[in-house]
Amino acid sequence: MTAGRPQLHDVRLQIKGLVLQRGFRRLVTDIDLNCEPGDIIALQGPNGSGKTTLLRAIAGFHTPAAGRITLSRAKGEEVEEPGEVLSFLGHQDPIKAGEKLIDQLRFWADLCGARRPLVSETLARVDLEKQAGLPGGVLSAGQRKRAALARLLLENRAIWLLDEPASPLDQEGRALFGQLLEQHARRGGIVLAAVHDPLPGVTARILKLGSMEAGGAV
Amino acid sequence: MNLMHACLAIIGREVRLGWGAGGGALLSASFFAGSVMVAPFALGPAPDTLGKIGPGYLWLALTLASLVSLERLFQADLEDGTLDQMLLSPVPHSLQVLSKILGQWLAAALPLLAVSPIAALLVRVEPAMILPLCLQLSVGSLGLFLIGAIGAALGASVRRGGLLVALVVLPLYAPSVIFGASAAAALATGGDFLSQPFLFLCALVLAALAFAPVAAAAAVRLHVD
Repeated sequence: MTAGRPQLHDVRLQIKGLVLQRGFRRLVTDIDLNCEPGDIIALQGPNGSGKTTLLRAIAGFHTPAAGRITLSRAKGEEVEEPGEVLSFLGHQDPIKAGEKLIDQLRFWADLCGARRPLVSETLARVDLEKQAGLPGGVLSAGQRKRAALARLLLENRAIWLLDEPASPLDQEGRALFGQLLEQHARRGGIVLAAVHDPLPGVTARILKLGSMEAGGAV
Repeated sequence: MNLMHACLAIIGREVRLGWGAGGGALLSASFFAGSVMVAPFALGPAPDTLGKIGPGYLWLALTLASLVSLERLFQADLEDGTLDQMLLSPVPHSLQVLSKILGQWLAAALPLLAVSPIAALLVRVEPAMILPLCLQLSVGSLGLFLIGAIGAALGASVRRGGLLVALVVLPLYAPSVIFGASAAAALATGGDFLSQPFLFLCALVLAALAFAPVAAAAAVRLHVD
């Protein structure tokens, strides 16, 4: 991103005995997962198997029915606020129809404390320079996803939680996305992605979530 | 410093979105102006009647106009996932909510307050009373926006929740409206600008400034699950 030595992330994610429930429906039973820096994990499973819910639970949006999710730094010091170390890319893109793309990214940069000049650099990285002045409403689905990736890069956090990240991207977009994943992992980042197709360009550990009959096991 | 920067970014964005295409910042002001405009037709143009109820009528119009923009305060962000991202930002959530409300107030209430002197003339408020009355209205409008945000947060995930928000919020508005209208009545009878009801209104606004963002933040959090 900038010249000089890339800064290395060093955050671990540990999930123990996690049970996730939506209403009376049990989605995920007793999941254990250990992520070390550099891990890329693909969450797979049929629709409704709880991939999104698992990601949202890790991000702190969803309260698990049982179990523990721990984020810890290098010296074993626990992270209080998930937002300090993780970025979330959901299937909605937080893009406002009436605002220029560049303004939206500047806003996110201001919010996470990134430097302003980084914004146009990052837009160039995801190949959206030409669209910088366009309002969000005219962007295509793939361009919106690229913009969301740009936000991820600006936030520069250790853990990326991605929900169906590659689906609207074209061939080039997927190649670029694979590159970003690879760079992120090389810098010690962790990626958890809910996907149906394999992640482009990287080899990922696969965590399978089963289809749940009421109360079924994974 | 960094926190300040982030809050200013939220306020600035709220204003920009409000004034941008489809933002609806002028909705409250138009509603206010429209409801005041029909007052002389509905109540009769006689100066002594209209002049007597004029200040109170302005408070009524302000209260209802402030409901107009509430529905979308958090709903848009909830629908497009902006709220998820805001929760993951390093800025405390209640501070974000406070900035959002202030931004909304700047975008929607300032135009309303800008037209309020003309509105006051329309309902035959004494010229000498217009400036203090409009100042009181602006203090009150901040309180209404803060309190209204709690209701907006509670109803954020309800489709077409405007009615629900209004039902939740109107009872909470009652104290501000009572003190605001009494302050206006005190002005009309030649009382001070800093009359007792107005000081109570100021106290209410300060309390809302402290508590409403926390309450609204907690309520918004419920919808994110």
